[in-house]
Order: sequence, then C-alpha cells, then structure tokens
Amino acid sequence: MNVSLSGPRGDRLRSISLSVFEGERIALLGRSGAGKSTLLAIANGSLRVDKGEVRWRGASIRTMPRRNKREIGMLWQDLLLVEELSVGQNVNSGALGRHNLIWGLANLLFNVDQSACKHCLQRAGLDAGLIERGLIDAPIRQLSGGQRQRVALARLLRQQPQLILADEPIANLDPAIASDLLDHLLNRSPEGPLNCGAKAIVISLHQPELVQRFDRVIGLQDGELVMDQPSEQLTAADLSRLYEAG
Amino acid sequence: MNRLKPAAPLLTLLPALALVPVLIVTWTGLHGGGLSIWQQFLLGALHPSLEPDLLQAVWHGLGVTMATALLSWSLSLLFGVLLGSACADVVWRSWSLPTWPATGLRRGLAIPRAVHELVWGLLLLQVFGLHPYVAVAAIAIPYSALVARIWRDHLDSADHRPLDALISAGVHPVSALMTALNPGMGTVLMSYGGYRLECALRSATLLGVFGLGGLGTELQLTLQSLQFRELWTGLWVLAAVMLILEQLLRFWRERSGVGVHGQRRILLFGTLAIVLGVIGTFWLRHIVPDQFSGLSWIGMEVPSWTQLNAAATELPWLRMILETLGLTVLAAGIAIGLPPLALLLWPSPRWHRCCSMFWACMRWIPPPLMVLLLLLSNRPSLAIGALAIGLHNSGVMGRLLLEGLQQQSDLRQEALRAMGSSERISWLYGLLSPQSPSYLAYGAYRSDVILRETVVVGVIGGSGLGWQLLESLSSFHWAAVVLVLCCYCALTISGESLSDRCRSLWLQS
Repeated sequence: MNVSLSGPRGDRLRSISLSVFEGERIALLGRSGAGKSTLLAIANGSLRVDKGEVRWRGASIRTMPRRNKREIGMLWQDLLLVEELSVGQNVNSGALGRHNLIWGLANLLFNVDQSACKHCLQRAGLDAGLIERGLIDAPIRQLSGGQRQRVALARLLRQQPQLILADEPIANLDPAIASDLLDHLLNRSPEGPLNCGAKAIVISLHQPELVQRFDRVIGLQDGELVMDQPSEQLTAADLSRLYEAG
Repeated sequence: MNRLKPAAPLLTLLPALALVPVLIVTWTGLHGGGLSIWQQFLLGALHPSLEPDLLQAVWHGLGVTMATALLSWSLSLLFGVLLGSACADVVWRSWSLPTWPATGLRRGLAIPRAVHELVWGLLLLQVFGLHPYVAVAAIAIPYSALVARIWRDHLDSADHRPLDALISAGVHPVSALMTALNPGMGTVLMSYGGYRLECALRSATLLGVFGLGGLGTELQLTLQSLQFRELWTGLWVLAAVMLILEQLLRFWRERSGVGVHGQRRILLFGTLAIVLGVIGTFWLRHIVPDQFSGLSWIGMEVPSWTQLNAAATELPWLRMILETLGLTVLAAGIAIGLPPLALLLWPSPRWHRCCSMFWACMRWIPPPLMVLLLLLSNRPSLAIGALAIGLHNSGVMGRLLLEGLQQQSDLRQEALRAMGSSERISWLYGLLSPQSPSYLAYGAYRSDVILRETVVVGVIGGSGLGWQLLESLSSFHWAAVVLVLCCYCALTISGESLSDRCRSLWLQS
C-alpha cells in the first residue's frame, strides 16, 4: 500500500508505503492518535484514501471483486458485533461474503451450519461445555467482555481470511485472557494464525513488551511511518523515541 | 433441523407477507375501465386547475382545516397534560394520597382513547348537527386521552429519586414536581406534542372527507365528480402544508436541546400552543361566522334493554369482528413490512430518496381518499381497504425507519462490506438489525392505531364494524350504535393491551 489521508485537523496519514508478505506476524505500534486504527481500516478497505491505493495480490482493494474482499479479515477494536443477534448468528455473519441473500435471511430464521459455528467457537477458545449448553442461541449482550472477544474471533475464523488485521484486540482484557488470545492469534503451527489458514497477521498494540512475539514491528508517529524493522533488532531506545511526545 | 427463532431484523420483514394475498386479490379484481380514469388522475397532477374560484374555495377549505387542527391540538395538549398528571401515581404519592383514583381515571380514559376521531365526529354530528366545534371536539376528545396516556407513562417511568429528595426536604409537592420532573417531561411535550400537531392536521382533513367541512370536503367533492385537475389543486396544497409543517417540526426538534436553553424552548412551546389555540378559535369564527349560531341538541334516543337485546341478536357479530381483525392484520403487515423490504431490495441512497418521497405522498393522502382512488380500477374488497390503510401507515413507518437509519452509525455496515458481504446483506445485518427492536416496538403501537383506523375504510369499503356503525347511525338505530361502539371499544382496548405488551417486549430485548 501507498496511502495518504487528510482529516478535519490536518493529515491523518502521510505517504505511508508498506508491504505485507506471506508468513509475517507484524506488530503495529504508536501512541494513541498516531493513526494505527486508521491505517488498519484503510488496509481493510472500509476507509477510503485521498491519495494512493491499497493492493491485495496485485489488485486494487477498491475495485476487486466482493469474493476477494473476504480474504482480508479484521478484528475491530470495538468488535462491531450485532447486538440484536445471537452468538451463532454473529459467528455466521463471518461467512456472509461466501453466501447469497437467501442464506443471510435463513441465518436470521434459524442457526444455519450449527456444527461449523460450534467448531469456530471452540477454536476461538470458548468453553465446550458452555457451547453445548446453548451459548449459540444466547444474545450477544448477555456475554462478558472476554466472551464477546472470543465470539468476534470465531466470526473471523468463520470468514477464513488469508490476511488478519487486528485493532488493539487485547486492549480491554485482563492479562491472562489477553495472553491466551494473543497465543491464538500468533499461533506458529503450519496452519497459520488461529489455525485458520491465514498467511499473515498485523496487530496494533499498546504493549511494547509483547513485540518479541512478532516477526516485524511497524511504528507510527503522528500519521507518519517512523519505524519498520525486524522485532529482534528493536531496542529500548527505539521504543522510547516512538512513544515520546510529538 | 434447528429450532426456528426469527431474529429481530427478519421480524421486520416477515409482515410484508401480507402483501401476497392483498396483491393477488387486487390483481384479480382489476378492471380495464378504470385505467383511463387512472391516466386522467395521474395527468391531473401535472396540470392542476388554477381557476380563481377553485383557488378561493381551496384556500377557504384549508383555513377551516388548519384552524380546526390548531384549536383541537391546543385543547388536547391542555386537557391531555392535566388529565395525564391526574392519572399519574407519582402525583398522588407526592401528596401522600392513595393512588386508586389515578387507576380509576386511567381506566376511564381508555374509552375516549379507543374510539377513533371519525367515530366521534359522526356521533357528534348526529347529536349536535353540523358545526365547526363538532370537528374540534371529535379530534380533541380522543387526542386528549392519547396525550394523557403518554404524559402519564413518562411521569410514572421517570427517575423519582430527585422528587423524593425534594419532598423529604419539605418542598411543596407542586414545586417539587415542577423542579424534579420538568426537564424530562418538557422534552416529551415538545416531541410528542409536535407529532400530534401533524396528526391533528391529518385528522381535520379526514373529518372533512366525511362532510365536516374544510379541505377534506373539497377533495372528496372533486374526486366524486372525477374532476382530477381540481382534486390535484387541493392535494398539492395539502402536500405543501404538510411538508412545511414536517420540516418546521423537525427543525424545532433538532434545535431543542436539553439544559437551560432547552427549558426556555419548552416554555416557548407551551406559550406557542396556547397562542395557536387562540388563533385557531378566532380564525374559525372569522372564516365560518354564519355557522356559529350556537350548538343545537338534535338529540339521541337512549335505547331500552329490549332494543339492545334485539340489536344484539340481529347483527352479524362474528363476520364483522373477523373482517375488522383481518383488515387490521393485513394493513399492519403492509405498514410494518413494506418499508424495510423496499429499502432492502435496493439499498442505494438514490432509491431511498425515492422511497422517502413515495412515503411522504402516502402520508398526505387520507386513507378514505386512497380507497376511493383504488376503487376507480378495482372491485370493493377487504384487500383494497387493507392496501389503503397499509400504504398510508407505511408512509409513517417508512419515515420513522429512514430517520432512525440516518441517525445510526454505519460502522457495522462498513465492516460487513469489507468482509465481502453484498450491499443487501451488509445493510440488513449492519444497519437494519440495530434499528429493528425500536422499529418493531413502534410497529406494535402502529398496529393499535391501525385497528382504530379500520373504522375509516370500513365506512367506505362496506366491511367490518365501521360499515355497520355508519348504517346504524344513518338509520338512527341507537341500540345498534351503542352495541357496535361497545364491541369496537372492547376490540381496541384489547388491541392496545396486546400492543403494549409487544412494545415493552421489543424495547427490553
């Protein structure tokens, strides 16, 4: 990608040029307001840029067919689950890109592909007993913060993306759940992150102490790319420069 | 097979299934003779008559309708707030009094609320004869009871802790109520009061269609004589007035925030309501001075027990009730299901603007006129009545849905789109889903309104309780009038109770 975006109070992103390669686990760092969420939303195609473009497998993300868009999965900071639907319907919404309107309507009438749904919830780390006791039919608003995060993960699994973008996925979780979730996301098995066949993952974080678990670190400061290097070369001085007042 | 459990967004679409039988019956009932009349009607929209005599008559009719609406609205707000306060438990508790009088008053108000303004109009017309105040009273009586209900509901459901604190500190109950509950109740008065002004204008036009004077009478006369260019002059004027009023009320709602300035606006709104009521009175006296010769009691015969018994056995109750309920279910299905279905089929901003314009037209045309228009090319049937009420109310539901969607964040829709979902699916899951519980709750309330409105098309379409009521009134068969009114009240009160339960269920879910 090579993108710029201006906002009401000046530039939000300035000429950022990046490439993500197969097998990479990338940490995206920067202070609040540095542009991490904006960059991920642009990469995912939900935010339009003023200048430049995002390309996925050589094709522009704005013009590529709908079926290819589902290859990029996003774990949103505020999850963006549909509160009015059940857990199962939310998980299945990850598969909407592969199906037509009739399937979408059927999912609102009963829980279609229940076994696939349960499988994704289990892989996302939700307790099997809880799933068997009817979690699938429970309304989203009855779940705890950690459980909601797992449902969002299960939705991502159901989407079967090639690239995963995660916007501060562990920001509001207690340390034990956060560590477990990160283990899931950064799984180094041959099946890739989340064991879902994804080829690469980009995660924005506010915990610089976790960067050693990644292959590459990208740093943003005031909408500018100021760091892009392998994580093992990262020093404490680099991090303090990144987080010092702009 | 999994258990069927329709989710809220699907429940907003399912009522549209009512369109299937209605359209089949309408399609099979079409006759070619009416097509040329429809063509003339549509062409009339492009060339409305601008003859000076007609313009003068329309202007006069508009004046009567607006003055009637203003006066009845002002009276209903005044009486509604007073009655609503009197039947609120919190008010009685503030004086440390038992609340049973409030409960009794609440139950008593269910009867004037259950009877549609048209029924009140026809009843008062029979008793007092044609007089401008008959139309005013016909609107003010049910509207006062409706405003009282809303006012009471909000008073009793407000947070009472500040009120309790003030009363325990020795503050006089009136001062405590004004201080603790005024800001929240002011917002209710402004938003609901504004909405009722729109309703009053629609009702005043509707009563005119049934001969109580004003623009509605002009529209009815021109339609009956198939003078479509003249009809369109009246319709365009009505559309312009409704559009201006809708925009003014929307502007008012958007500008009226909470806090000090909000409270000033509430005071201004109260003053404005009273001033508009006074203006309405003088305007009405100025426009129709010859009709203000004083109300004359034509009278009604109080039916005896024997007459009531005889009427009870001679009327076809089952058929009338089933027709009324059938009309309600079909019309409510169209009103609730059509707007989300139309928006789902083509979720583009341009199509949504087209829908918005269509719904505005549906709101402006009174249901009885719509029935008469549909009857130009179709046989009379229950389906035509359902289509007319359904389309009219879909105008109200459609506007509400679009306003709700516009105020909502589209982040979920964008997220689903980015996941590769189609436009329709991302609109359904991302935009309609968050709106659906409140939309269904309002749909439950609207079904209750539709049940009351069935009487309007029943009168024209020859079906249900409305038709029987008109027949009985025309023949001064007071025993039948009393029984049909009792049956109608029982139905609407049951419908209101059912819609209340559905509404609270949807709002809690």
